[in-house]
Amino acid sequence: MKLYRRSLWVFHLNSGSCNGCDIEILNALAPRQDAERLGVKLVGSPRHADAILFTGPVTREALPSVVRAIQAVPEPKIVLAVGACACGGGIWHDSYCVLGGIQGLYRVLKSMGITPPKTFFVPGCPPKPEAIIQGILLARGLVRQKQVRSEYYEEQALAEKAEVDLHRLFHKYFWVRVPPEAARVKYGVAYY
Amino acid sequence: MRPRNKCELMTNLRRFGEPRLRGKYLFISRIKSGRLKDLVDYLHWRLGGYYSTSIGVDERPLDGYFHVYHVFVLEKYGVYVLVDLPANPGHPVVESITPIVPAANWAEREIMDFIGIKFRAHPEPHRLILPDDWPDNVYPLRKDFPYDEKLPTSDKIAKLVRESPSDTWIAEDSEDHTAIPVGPYHPALHEPEYFELFVEGEKIVDARYKGFMVHRGIEKIAESRLTYNQVPFIAERICGICGFTHSTAYCQAVEEAARIDVPERAEYIRSILLEIERIHSHFLWMGVAFHLLGYDTGFMIMWRLRESIMDLAEKLTGSRKMYGANIVGGIRDKWDIKEEKVALINDTLGKIREEYLKYVPKIISMEEIKKRTRGVGILSRSDARKYSVLGPHARASGINTDVRRYRPYAAYKYVDVEIPVEDDGDIYARIIIRHEEIIASIDLIHRLLDNIPRTHLHADTDYIPERRYGIGCTEAPRGEDLHFVITGKDNKLYRWRPRAPTYNNLLSVPTMLRGEHLADAPIIIASIDPCFSCTDHIVVVDLRSGRRRPLRTGGLVGGR
Repeated sequence: MKLYRRSLWVFHLNSGSCNGCDIEILNALAPRQDAERLGVKLVGSPRHADAILFTGPVTREALPSVVRAIQAVPEPKIVLAVGACACGGGIWHDSYCVLGGIQGLYRVLKSMGITPPKTFFVPGCPPKPEAIIQGILLARGLVRQKQVRSEYYEEQALAEKAEVDLHRLFHKYFWVRVPPEAARVKYGVAYY
Repeated sequence: MRPRNKCELMTNLRRFGEPRLRGKYLFISRIKSGRLKDLVDYLHWRLGGYYSTSIGVDERPLDGYFHVYHVFVLEKYGVYVLVDLPANPGHPVVESITPIVPAANWAEREIMDFIGIKFRAHPEPHRLILPDDWPDNVYPLRKDFPYDEKLPTSDKIAKLVRESPSDTWIAEDSEDHTAIPVGPYHPALHEPEYFELFVEGEKIVDARYKGFMVHRGIEKIAESRLTYNQVPFIAERICGICGFTHSTAYCQAVEEAARIDVPERAEYIRSILLEIERIHSHFLWMGVAFHLLGYDTGFMIMWRLRESIMDLAEKLTGSRKMYGANIVGGIRDKWDIKEEKVALINDTLGKIREEYLKYVPKIISMEEIKKRTRGVGILSRSDARKYSVLGPHARASGINTDVRRYRPYAAYKYVDVEIPVEDDGDIYARIIIRHEEIIASIDLIHRLLDNIPRTHLHADTDYIPERRYGIGCTEAPRGEDLHFVITGKDNKLYRWRPRAPTYNNLLSVPTMLRGEHLADAPIIIASIDPCFSCTDHIVVVDLRSGRRRPLRTGGLVGGR
């Protein structure tokens, strides 16, 4: 992520979250963690932002505003989906007035012909401020992904392989970092 | 003359309908025709009680009718009055009580949205909660609507993208309004609430609120997908700040309905966790209030102090926010507070108290803070009654109300709770109330820890009978949480309606804003503690020039 070598300005976009993640985001900026020392600044307008801190399961009512805000962020942009709701809809995933997290939103964006921005996932309900900061650092390329299994969402593909990948097992059980080339995934990022 | 006891109350109520007393619940059914308004007037304005909320229930599978229950709280008699209004499914219309009790405005509109009952003579019978593109005549809380049916979204979204950014969200423009887009964006949400302020120069003339962007269908999910002991988890996620008080209120409602006795130790642990939550919530609010007053050092101090409380919560429950401790009938085993944890809590709170008293009394006695907050955003006592405001907001307006003292639940039955009350009704009074509550809460936790008894942690809850009514109330940091449940078959709820205190408190905001300076708007809106940074997206409409421009608090207090 060479583009974001310098200070990352983030815009906080709430799409109907319960405030849990939103306050943890502010906690990350409060004195204990103080994300501003890493150049992370919360800005008031999406036009000023490089990245979107996205929370909430995307409610129907909020959808138009969310689409507008994402469009307003200039390219190149990235999205950090913070919290279980943003990552996959969370406990609300199949409710009648919820789109089901950022993937539901991206389905809508694709249907309108907009390519979804590159997305990083910070799961947790709510994720701790440390996890949010790690997500930001990951986006800036300051830390490597501590990923232990790359086909996180692809159980089927894993079963088809059948052969046991000893190398990967070694990494899984001894907590060694996988090189970033192997860690490229479709969507999921697992933090341990 | 006010009746002296429950018996006399019952006699008096026979003038209006048929009262039935079931434990704490006084149902009034078969209201005589034309007497509803008199009854509501009597309950809300003459008996010293207050209107709490209204609940719409689709009881067609049970008795063939829709029902509306208006809940009134009569603290003096220790009862909840439920005014039962059945509505015929063929022609669901009942009389509105909003002309008498303005606080019922939103609750009735919500029932119109969700159940499809019409209210006769409602002053503004518009859609409140459901999104604008939701089809008419589809009512999600009716029992025949599946909870996971995703209706197709309209072409509104595609239209939004096609049109230029300036002319969609200010679509109501006419000759007297001109749209001026400030910044390319404004619809975006920081916390999804939206106020429109009408100003003349710098003075606010009127305000309008548009919210409910966080409607996630929680009631429907709980009724259709979750079992009794799963609902506390979703109840905690109603709000990320005061979640535990919601799950406690829910558990209490089910325990009331099923007549389960909660062991004392569980009650004590609930109370301790509730007080910890109150402290962190008030710290948070104070920080935000100082930030909005332009005193960012205060914000940083409060949030630094708050971290120690969050650490404490994490050590006690394993999580900073969502404690996950409640089940129906008590507390989960692993959330027990053992000896070593008692010492830990006492130590931590001692340190927090010391540091808190080092800073905050000085901050709130500063002239700058006083000048910004004294005499600003006044809510008089009568207005507070009119909108049924709750919690610290009501106590700052001179109404002595607190669920912990007057309808004690959990371990508040066993200890004395200090309730600070102020008469000024301005923002400074609200700061003082919360300041005193923080200290009272810390002392209260110490006292609770001294007396914590050794009993079981949860009661046996094998069987929960069907179609029982229960109301659970807790004093959340922002006011009274009320959860109404009707139990159902198959280990599931039939109906669950949580009502958060901001629901009532927000209705009073336009009254407080009228006549104030524009620069004070953020702190006035934030002074009710409306779940955080909702002050962010305000549209200002200048009546003189007819110009509209979006306003963010960032612009008012110098950026975040």
